[in-house]
Amino acid sequence: MESGNIPILAVNEDTIPAAYEKAIREVWENGASIRTEYDRPEDPASKDATVIITVREPFSQPRFHRSFADGLGGLAEYVMEVVHGAHDYWVKPMEEILKGTQSKDTRWTYTYHERLFEYRIEDEVINQISLMIDRLSRAGHTRRAQAITWNPKLDPPTDDPPCLQRVWGRLCDDGEGGYVFNMNTHWRSRDLFKAWFENVIALTTLMRKIAEEISKGTKKQVRLGRYVDISDSLHIYGSYFREIEGDPEKGIKSFFEKLESRSFQERTWDSDFVKPYFIDDGVGKGLKPMLEREKEMPEKVRKAIEKELRLMEKDDYEV
Amino acid sequence: MEIFKDIADEVEKGHSDTVKELTERALSQDISAEEILYKGLVVGMEIISEKFKNNECFIPEVLVAAKAMNIGLEVIKPLLAEANVKSQGKVVMGTVKGDLHDIGKNIVAMLLQGAGFEVIDCGADVPKEKFLEAVKSEQADVIGMSALLTTTMLYMKEVIEMLKSEGLREKVKVIIGGAPITKSYAETIGADGYAPDAASAVDLTKGLLK
Repeated sequence: MESGNIPILAVNEDTIPAAYEKAIREVWENGASIRTEYDRPEDPASKDATVIITVREPFSQPRFHRSFADGLGGLAEYVMEVVHGAHDYWVKPMEEILKGTQSKDTRWTYTYHERLFEYRIEDEVINQISLMIDRLSRAGHTRRAQAITWNPKLDPPTDDPPCLQRVWGRLCDDGEGGYVFNMNTHWRSRDLFKAWFENVIALTTLMRKIAEEISKGTKKQVRLGRYVDISDSLHIYGSYFREIEGDPEKGIKSFFEKLESRSFQERTWDSDFVKPYFIDDGVGKGLKPMLEREKEMPEKVRKAIEKELRLMEKDDYEV
Repeated sequence: MEIFKDIADEVEKGHSDTVKELTERALSQDISAEEILYKGLVVGMEIISEKFKNNECFIPEVLVAAKAMNIGLEVIKPLLAEANVKSQGKVVMGTVKGDLHDIGKNIVAMLLQGAGFEVIDCGADVPKEKFLEAVKSEQADVIGMSALLTTTMLYMKEVIEMLKSEGLREKVKVIIGGAPITKSYAETIGADGYAPDAASAVDLTKGLLK
């Protein structure tokens, strides 16, 4: 890092996995070494940069990279958490959140769905995504269709405040009588190596849901445009360096050698391969096991996930 | 035998349908369920586990392979029970009470199964009573606990204390893991071992049950 300036990096790719790989390489090679709250004393400082990533076609295939820190069933459950609020019932009550790090309640302080769809302010609960859809349906060119997550009363005292800060969207004419939905997401801080990919799969699924709702409201075709992902601090934690660098003496490949040893096709999956694992990954995760396992899930959420499951079981539905 | 290699290859690639078909074909050729398990299914998982250890494959690929192995295992399970085939050992696993982060635990569970252990997965957010019940009812050899949070890892000690008070501590090995866990923490709370990553957890378990 020269003269104390954090590097600003840009990545532009057609697909999510291509953007993911490029971003890892960019931050690894050009990021600054900066310590984070999560680095342990024995870890090297994290690699860090402000990064703007454009995915030109978020649902183009292959949509899934094989490198992420979960299984495909777990990823499906995370998508349900963000898009349908599967784990909003794991969020602790407001009085416990306000205790900050003093709270003994180990439940969560937020989920993205809860903040985006049920933002609590004073005595009101606001569905910001619904407002976005309404506003865009009425005037697609608006620059005011956005949803925030940060709560300045709840978040500063906690150990793990939300990384996603804002979702913004806008419609443009497609020149054929329909619209193109463009969406940007803004992130305060981000674990590139082990969280970015899953975040983006979930957020682009949300992007599609918003576009579908606008299409219903306007009775016009709404195609998905580019997805732009902006992180103030996109980092690779020092604790991951061993995994990225490998260990040549022990014959352990570096992350980049692992990528280069296979074709792009062999390090990604398309939606057709992934879909059955989203339904049930055979090792306890996925939509079916989730509905079976999580008995306390509210009925409204359960019904939304069951509907999603029925859609997935149809041949023409892409995950 | 070629069919064992084919089963192992297809497990490694995560091709569940082919694994099922090959397992059924092997049975129709009068190959024993035990041979299919140890020369085919387990070998496939060993290959992917070794690749994972050497940073040659990705975590989701291990889980995709595990699904394929489980599909094959389902076919031969009744026959294994009939033949009274013993596993390498029984491991009760779970993330401790208050901790819902179960990715690491799931990967360890898959790798242990792949190495021929029987895994009793208690899931996430597991209270000590549930661990105890599983250890007793399953006559487990090992209990594996995982925690991602510094606030929840403290619960591991409570589980160990409960095993002691129930007179079970000497009968079951305790292994722990998770991002905040260190070797010295494992020693402090009286665990038998700690694994810094999923692949080492398998080696640790094998070593403890020798």
